[in-house]
Amino acid sequence: MVAFGGWEMPLEYGPGTVAEHLACRHHCVVFDVSHLGTVRVVGEGAYQVLQHALSNDLAKIGPGRAQYTHLLDDDGSVADDLIVWWVAEERFDVMPNASNTSRALAALGGRDVTAERAVLAVQGPEARAVVAKVCPPAAEVPRFSVRVVDWGGTQVVVAGTGYTGEDGLELAVPVAGPGRGGAPAPTAGAASRPAEGAGGPAAELWDALLGAGALPAGLGARDTLRLEAGLPLHGHELGPGITPLEAGLSWVVAWDKPGGFRGRDALVARRHAREQAPGRALRGIVGEGRQPLRSGYPVLVGGTAIGELTSGNFSPVLGRGIGMAFVPADVAPGTAVQVEARGRRLAGRVVKLPFVKR
Amino acid sequence: MGVNVPEDLRYTSGHEWARLEGGRVRVGITDYAQDALGDIVYIGLPAPGATATAGESLCELESTKSVSDVYAPVDGTVVEVNSELVDAPQRVNEDPYGEGWICVIDPVSPDALQSLLDPEAYRGLIEA
Repeated sequence: MVAFGGWEMPLEYGPGTVAEHLACRHHCVVFDVSHLGTVRVVGEGAYQVLQHALSNDLAKIGPGRAQYTHLLDDDGSVADDLIVWWVAEERFDVMPNASNTSRALAALGGRDVTAERAVLAVQGPEARAVVAKVCPPAAEVPRFSVRVVDWGGTQVVVAGTGYTGEDGLELAVPVAGPGRGGAPAPTAGAASRPAEGAGGPAAELWDALLGAGALPAGLGARDTLRLEAGLPLHGHELGPGITPLEAGLSWVVAWDKPGGFRGRDALVARRHAREQAPGRALRGIVGEGRQPLRSGYPVLVGGTAIGELTSGNFSPVLGRGIGMAFVPADVAPGTAVQVEARGRRLAGRVVKLPFVKR
Repeated sequence: MGVNVPEDLRYTSGHEWARLEGGRVRVGITDYAQDALGDIVYIGLPAPGATATAGESLCELESTKSVSDVYAPVDGTVVEVNSELVDAPQRVNEDPYGEGWICVIDPVSPDALQSLLDPEAYRGLIEA
């Protein structure tokens, strides 16, 4: 167990990070991602509150859909990246990163319901088949859609979302309340839940998913999976001084949304500056060998430092060290680089993200 | 809980094992160490002929979690390395006392292992 964003989380389960990672790429795993926040914003004004606070445009979707979006600071930096679950006409369940829940709450108002539910992320090419054995209507929820489904009397909010680069579903299930009954006492339990949650619907759902063939996966595999998929992690690829533009995520910015959004003016200025001088861009670095690349390692071209890795590890699919780095935007994919690993220089090259495509 | 500490080996407080084989010392990391490190995905083997100094880094192992040094249990010269680990470092996890051996050292002193921990002492260390 490791401390993460104020939670105790399992780094890995029995089979280990690599086996959990490969199970997600080829079969199906389940993560307990209850540490993600849920800020519920409801009512007539909810839509406008979110439209003004967040960079993406809810007008592109509608109720029953999910959207990836950014909360920006006034200087255009990414204060958080989050997913909005538009559950019903006047109900939004906004999912910030664990450590940014209070920031999202301050920006959006609403109510922090994080402690009331667990979120189980079922991911992998067999995720829908596994969920279908447990709760058939949940398995039908399309990618980036959101539905409230009934699971034996318990309401489960299901979204076709995830953070692995695979197809999958995320299920928000109440921690407390009557279980389905008749089920055997939970064994594994959703590991990061507080003890008083054990035995409720969330723990029953966890056990049911394991029974249906999902392998439990921990924070270690969650990180290597998102890294292979080229997905940014707040505090690494997103954060103070980094706008969506450097991170290659300008598609989450609805420049011309009526009424604008927080951070827009600074972001427009940054866009103009980048048109004059391209600045930095987020790129992938693939090592020639198996040695894991690590956050903080300098990246060099011809002996000159051009940036440093913001994330890195071993790619179980590629069998090589991989990492992400902000480098000058004119450093093209294919460029040979060296990565300095504790005094030794490893050969690598620049690639476009993601490292691994579905 | 179920950590394997074979009776025929000597140990270091840094979780290396050493086995005397006809005057030479075969070296690896313990079952306890491999379990704590998690999936080992890379090993930077020492070069054959390299000097080993007891208590100093012999080579590096990397797991998905972290980078760890393997410390030489004895003074001597590296005479053989397990090059199978280059492409299959997971053997250290799978069989730490067998196929996961790391290198063989020709020790300076034939009594080199005397100063290392016996199985009982090592078991005491990891259970403390």
